[in-house]
Amino acid sequence: MGNIWTIARKEFVSYFTSPVAYVAITVLFVVVGLKFFVVDDFFVTRRADLRSFFELLPYFFVFYLPAIAMRLVAEEKRQGTFELLATLPVADRDVILGKYLGAVGFLVVTLLATLPYPLLVSFLGDPDPGTIYGGYLGLLFVGLVFLAFSVMASTWTGSQIVAYIIGSMLSALFFLLDLLMGIFGEATRKIAEYASVQAHFASFSKGVIDTRDIVFFVSLVALALTLATFSLNRRRWN
Amino acid sequence: MNEPLKGETMIEVSHLNKRYGHLRAVNDVSFQVRKGEIVGFLGPNGAGKSTVLKIMTCFLPPTSGTVRIGGLDVGDHPLEVRKKFGYLPESAPLYLDMTAYDYLKYVGSLRGLSGKKLEQRTQQVAGSVGITKVLGQVTGTLSKGYRQRVCLAQALIHDPEFLILDEPTVGLDPNQVVEIRSLIKELGKDRTVILSTHILPEVLATCDRIIIIHKGRIVADGTARELERKVASSATVIVRFKKTDTAGSQADLKARLEAVLSAASAEGTVTPRSTPDADEWEFKVSVSGEKDLRPAILQAFARESWPLLEVRRDVLDIEGLFRTLTQE
Repeated sequence: MGNIWTIARKEFVSYFTSPVAYVAITVLFVVVGLKFFVVDDFFVTRRADLRSFFELLPYFFVFYLPAIAMRLVAEEKRQGTFELLATLPVADRDVILGKYLGAVGFLVVTLLATLPYPLLVSFLGDPDPGTIYGGYLGLLFVGLVFLAFSVMASTWTGSQIVAYIIGSMLSALFFLLDLLMGIFGEATRKIAEYASVQAHFASFSKGVIDTRDIVFFVSLVALALTLATFSLNRRRWN
Repeated sequence: MNEPLKGETMIEVSHLNKRYGHLRAVNDVSFQVRKGEIVGFLGPNGAGKSTVLKIMTCFLPPTSGTVRIGGLDVGDHPLEVRKKFGYLPESAPLYLDMTAYDYLKYVGSLRGLSGKKLEQRTQQVAGSVGITKVLGQVTGTLSKGYRQRVCLAQALIHDPEFLILDEPTVGLDPNQVVEIRSLIKELGKDRTVILSTHILPEVLATCDRIIIIHKGRIVADGTARELERKVASSATVIVRFKKTDTAGSQADLKARLEAVLSAASAEGTVTPRSTPDADEWEFKVSVSGEKDLRPAILQAFARESWPLLEVRRDVLDIEGLFRTLTQE
């Protein structure tokens, strides 16, 4: 447990010792702001509604979170620090969990950085608090899944770019699975709907918190992180 | 010439093999290291040194064979084994965005240190490798020599029983090389050290024992003296003359030396060697057997008026051994 915490803290802090964190959060702020004020014309429509805010962010996360997680393992492999980390008395599982939690910390900071928007809307109008809490919880779970995919992708390569592309593709695939599978007809659509991240996110953003959705997200995270641990471990096989 | 008897066996490598696809990187390597030894792993680039070290540190699995460290098999108890050693990987990897201080603390806490003890050890190792002044600097801004030392400090932070150092002096300037070597010698006083290098003087300067590895195989294993005797089935003497008008030609001198050889009833060869000084001649006299020819040569030339500059025994011909063993 101590090792997981040590690694998580190091990864979290290192986001802020480089420009990455500041650039990422600025981009987030600008993109969300543009959508909110320019595209949706918040002040013209005068609707105290955060629906488009919660619709946009998961799409944004598809591109944003893989960029946050891509370096976690890939960069260690490229720099050679992985050889050191892998020869310290730390289990592969702890390495993965620590790195994942470091990135999750950054996800939480990201979510906190978006708070001005719902606060502004609440100040100006009277939005449904249920959809705000539900929406944020949903965003957190979607983020957890995308980060887990991206950490997994990062263990597969020594290149951050490759890790980023794979992470984004996997996130996009799972997010839009029901849309993609819809073209194959009704039967596959039903299955795809169960595996689609967006379908499960949708009920959160309506303010409905269903344990089945939570189980779904947690299972995806567990699966991706298990595969990531496996991938680190693979070099120890013959 | 017996090496001093050291403690019990610390590391036992037996019949180690490693294949990368068709390439046989390590081929039936077996050796033992006893407690307190400083062992040098010597070989040309690509000989398989690093691969052996990577298997010992549980970074790579062997294709077959076993490594036991302190009685524990590295495959069965990777976490236990990893606690016992400190490892300096070949490229001295650092997190370039961290300060040296944070880096050491990070590795220290993953090594199980915490609180006061961690702080104390950080300062201690920083002092012993001479990086106290740069502790607060981001490692990416440090010179190669300092980076190497920061990484060495990391390997020492938990005061390990033994140290595995892969090419510890590569990329350093001559002064730094001398410093690191004496540091390794110092560290080796109360620890077991294995270091790899392709630089012969490095092992001669720091190690009790040399293992020469070539094309994945161990081709020699012993102290410097033992290895030297292995090659030196012939004793070699270097003779140097000053050129003067009275000295005669190089061929005359060669003939004189050969006469000395036959007078001493020794079998051998006399070969002229090039010298840096144009007004000197040098000959290499190789004799089979242990016979020391120096007195005979000195006597022979003392009676003549030929200016003999130097007669010396060519002692440490491990360079020759290394070349013979690692050329194919």
